[in-house]
Amino acid sequence: MKQETAAHPAFKSRGAPRFNFSLGLRRSARENGLEILALLGGAAIWEALGWGLGLQWLPPFSRVMETLWQFVRSGAILANLGSSLWGLVVGFGLSLAFGLVLGALMGRYRSIERALDIYVHALFVCPSIVFAPIFFAIFGLSDAARIAIIVVYSTFVIVINTTAAIRTVDPSLVEMARSFGCREHQIFTRILLPASLPLVFAGIRLGMGRAVKGMINGEMLIAFVGLGALAQRYGAQFDATKVFAIAMVVLIIGLVSNWLVQMLDQRFTSWAN
Amino acid sequence: MIRVRGLSKEFATSDNGGGGVLALSNIDFEVRDNEFITVIGPSGCGKTTLLRIIAGLIPYDQGEVTIYGRPVTGPGPERAMVFQNFALMPWADIMTNVSFGLEIRGTPKEQSRATAKELIKLVGLEGFEQRLPKELSGGMQQRVGLARALAVNPQILLMDEPFGSVDEQTRRLLQEVLLSLWERERKTVVFITHSMDEAVMLGDRVMLMTPRPGRVKEMIDIPLNRPRLREVEKSSTFLEVKEYLWENLKAMQLE
Repeated sequence: MKQETAAHPAFKSRGAPRFNFSLGLRRSARENGLEILALLGGAAIWEALGWGLGLQWLPPFSRVMETLWQFVRSGAILANLGSSLWGLVVGFGLSLAFGLVLGALMGRYRSIERALDIYVHALFVCPSIVFAPIFFAIFGLSDAARIAIIVVYSTFVIVINTTAAIRTVDPSLVEMARSFGCREHQIFTRILLPASLPLVFAGIRLGMGRAVKGMINGEMLIAFVGLGALAQRYGAQFDATKVFAIAMVVLIIGLVSNWLVQMLDQRFTSWAN
Repeated sequence: MIRVRGLSKEFATSDNGGGGVLALSNIDFEVRDNEFITVIGPSGCGKTTLLRIIAGLIPYDQGEVTIYGRPVTGPGPERAMVFQNFALMPWADIMTNVSFGLEIRGTPKEQSRATAKELIKLVGLEGFEQRLPKELSGGMQQRVGLARALAVNPQILLMDEPFGSVDEQTRRLLQEVLLSLWERERKTVVFITHSMDEAVMLGDRVMLMTPRPGRVKEMIDIPLNRPRLREVEKSSTFLEVKEYLWENLKAMQLE
């Protein structure tokens, strides 16, 4: 989380005193300028190495893009993208719901945290793909199996962050709310929820990233649909260019989803910057 | 009327397993209606604990605490608190912060906004309604804390070292704001402080406490006329009481 925010100093440190959308956009444009430059540089190096080394597993960047374009035109990407994204949306949605509720309860109630913490951390540390055969056994070759994989991938990091977020809310704010007669549910909605939002969003961003990983891994190893299935097929054929082309699509999904979460984060927690 | 009789409070310690730490021991005192009481004592005398008990935020072990004859079992609408670290909601603008108590207590939105606007004006923050707390200085933030407490029109104002974290000039200004508001509409005030000047300047009586366990050493009358202006600081009464407090506090520190 620290590293991610460090990569975007404009988003965290030099924040405008009040939320100012046009200023925010100008800043992010300036910031993105640097990012685009970095991407172009990376592509250029890749291109040079690809031609220069002539390795079978490292096709030049332009060849990968060409293949990607062919995929897009033939409709192969679009058909599989829809299926992948649908799983991602459902899986991540479930993760969010479980993660936020469980995290909020664990953050607020010490006894719940003590009871569940060991499970949450065990499942967080354990490589989620270990559960693939079990989900396969339960759900068979269905969407449910790959959605379940996405859920185990991304839920626990959200739980852990939400727990910490709720726990670190300034206790004097809770005391203030109680002194004015807030009931427990009002303390949640009026104080804990808004106060913990910046850290909760950090967890959501990490969870989003893990959900994309879970999506591809699930598709490669159990469901054999979507982008993961394509990557699996071309990988088996040792077609590096096509595998890279798929990887590019996944990369874009990762970046766009991260950007979406970041936009929401900006919108709701500008006060914390 | 706040009445405290034989109040004791023990905090459980997590480490030794044996008993706890006695924070307050056999506290007896009364605060009359519309009286301004300041509470002073060395750190560790439990003055903040005492205030939180009166506020109904923490339970107590022995004795009784009653407000208008009713035992304190939790926070109540006749009390409002001002916090040392302001405890403002950083995501909410000043208007929302000041109207917080009103909205929690079910006042219709428009009415609570109107009341909040009035209070914001009274504490001298007109025009800052849409600002966030972090855009305000510490002194201004505590004006917000004061306005928020006054907005619910409490009969009793509980203040926990409210001006303890601002600089000397700001503190004096805030004292004057508080006094002028109190002159306008007298409320019962329990005001915790660690400043002797402040204790004497503001209070009708000063409650002097001893540390570990916290006890009431003495209740000292401050025979200074009101409204009090800065000049009283030069009066012999002011200086005598302050000197007396200092002798006592010094003796406690050396023990």
